[in-house]
Amino acid sequence: MIRTEATDAILAARGLVPADLEIRLRADASSRLPVLVCYGAAVVWLIIGSLFGELASLKLHWPDLLTRDSWLTFGRIRTAHLNTVNYGWGSLAMIGTSLWLMPRLVHSELRHARMAVVGAVLWNVGLVVGVTGILAGMSDGMEWLEMSRWLADPWLVVGGGMIGFSLFSTVAARRAEHLYVSVWYILSAFLWFPMLFVLGNWPTWTGVESAAVNWLFAHNVLGFWLTAVSVGIAYYFIPKVLGRPIYSYQLSILGFWTFAFFYALNGMHHLVGGPLPTWMITTSIVASVLMFIPVVATAINLHMTVVGRFGALRYSPTLRFVVLGAMGYTAVSLQGSFTALREVNRVTHFTHWTIAHSHVGVYGFVTFIMFGAMYYVIPRLVGHEWPSASLIRWHFGLVLSGIAIYVVALTWAGVAQGLALLDPRLPFEASVIRAHYGLIGRSLGGLLMTTGHFVFAWHVWVMFRGRRVAAARPPFHEARPILYTAPA
Amino acid sequence: MIPSSLVVVLATFAIGVLALTVFVWAWRRGLFNDLDAQARVIFEPDDLRLARRWETPAQRVERENAYGAPVVPRRGEWGGAA
Repeated sequence: MIRTEATDAILAARGLVPADLEIRLRADASSRLPVLVCYGAAVVWLIIGSLFGELASLKLHWPDLLTRDSWLTFGRIRTAHLNTVNYGWGSLAMIGTSLWLMPRLVHSELRHARMAVVGAVLWNVGLVVGVTGILAGMSDGMEWLEMSRWLADPWLVVGGGMIGFSLFSTVAARRAEHLYVSVWYILSAFLWFPMLFVLGNWPTWTGVESAAVNWLFAHNVLGFWLTAVSVGIAYYFIPKVLGRPIYSYQLSILGFWTFAFFYALNGMHHLVGGPLPTWMITTSIVASVLMFIPVVATAINLHMTVVGRFGALRYSPTLRFVVLGAMGYTAVSLQGSFTALREVNRVTHFTHWTIAHSHVGVYGFVTFIMFGAMYYVIPRLVGHEWPSASLIRWHFGLVLSGIAIYVVALTWAGVAQGLALLDPRLPFEASVIRAHYGLIGRSLGGLLMTTGHFVFAWHVWVMFRGRRVAAARPPFHEARPILYTAPA
Repeated sequence: MIPSSLVVVLATFAIGVLALTVFVWAWRRGLFNDLDAQARVIFEPDDLRLARRWETPAQRVERENAYGAPVVPRRGEWGGAA
């Protein structure tokens, strides 16, 4: 599995000890099964979540669609969409990539890999229970925390804990002297997320306190979970593919620690105008603006790493997705800081603008980086290359055009809606009518993205289906033993 | 009566203290020493020698001078069948 006779013969003839290769191959082999489980489940949830999202979108401008069955009503479908794409697709894709990356980053094998597999299975059981419950009308009523705290969440807590234990054990047993910046991002996310998840689900919060805790969690799950892991992954793949270190490693460290110190208070800007102390909201707005520091540090760093080599995007689907995802990070973060300002929030609050903004983040940023990572990782898991460059191009074109249409249409609809809501001469109905075409654009964009997801899922299925056959072949990197020679 | 802000204040304070504690621990453990070596920990020797089709002639020469003669990457080396 780890080495072939061919590679051994070549290396032995040259009197070389392939220590680096051995460590890397062992690292990859150790994480293979849990990553396959996470990726497989993530793609299934991506398809389910996309169908929920598209249906929910259609209902906004086609209100009579599928209204006879309660489980197909907007309130349940939209909530099911949010939970499946966040905890199913996004989280499992990130967990899978983290499990694959961490052993490589710390030059060690993944510890307790079987525990990580069981953890991933439990996580999925929790999701099935939670999403089924939402469709059946059982919701905890807090955004991003709708899955039943008694029936579904314990599965996620135990499953996530097992995966986290595996990751932390791997780092504790590291052979690498240095901790790369991605390790900081990923490990801290696996520390922050469970804290926030347990806090958000604590059953004692009521009234205004509940709203505050809700947005403390809901915004921080974007930042301390989705963002942290995704930025960490971008910091790995961009220099790795380009074959040059990150532009300024010092800047990446500055970016991480300022992110860690400034992000926690951001969530309260969702409650501008709400019945909370003004100092609290203002502090949150200040923290949101302070986010310029880590965001600009990361943006400059990643951009300067790629600058002069943008041609690589033509050759590397991984880089294409990850670089666009990194641009999405810059866009959504700066937009978020501006949206937190009271004058902007006055127009955009309670409008479709927020939905567009969240999709720039969770899709244009996180999902793009996950697609890029999976295009790199899956061939190295199954031991053979993606069968069709054309399908990758279709996937990229569909999801890029889809998210572009989606964001433009919904941002415009949000502004039109917000201005209509602020105009005392207009009835409420005017705000709905003005957003109508934007909502149709949203469905069109969603349809393109969903089609792209089917293309991607089919491609992944073809890769996984070929796994048994491919196992007899040399794993991906072993097929180029000529590379494992002493550096010149 | 407990103010509505108390939970958020305590939670964010805890997150901040945790970050500060880890930062100080990492500093004292020397985890911020030799950042140049840290930046290169993701590379294996052959990673840097692979020929990249998109590089300009000057960039290729620079790579060759730094890491030795280029080697041909496999199809799909850069993630995806491109």
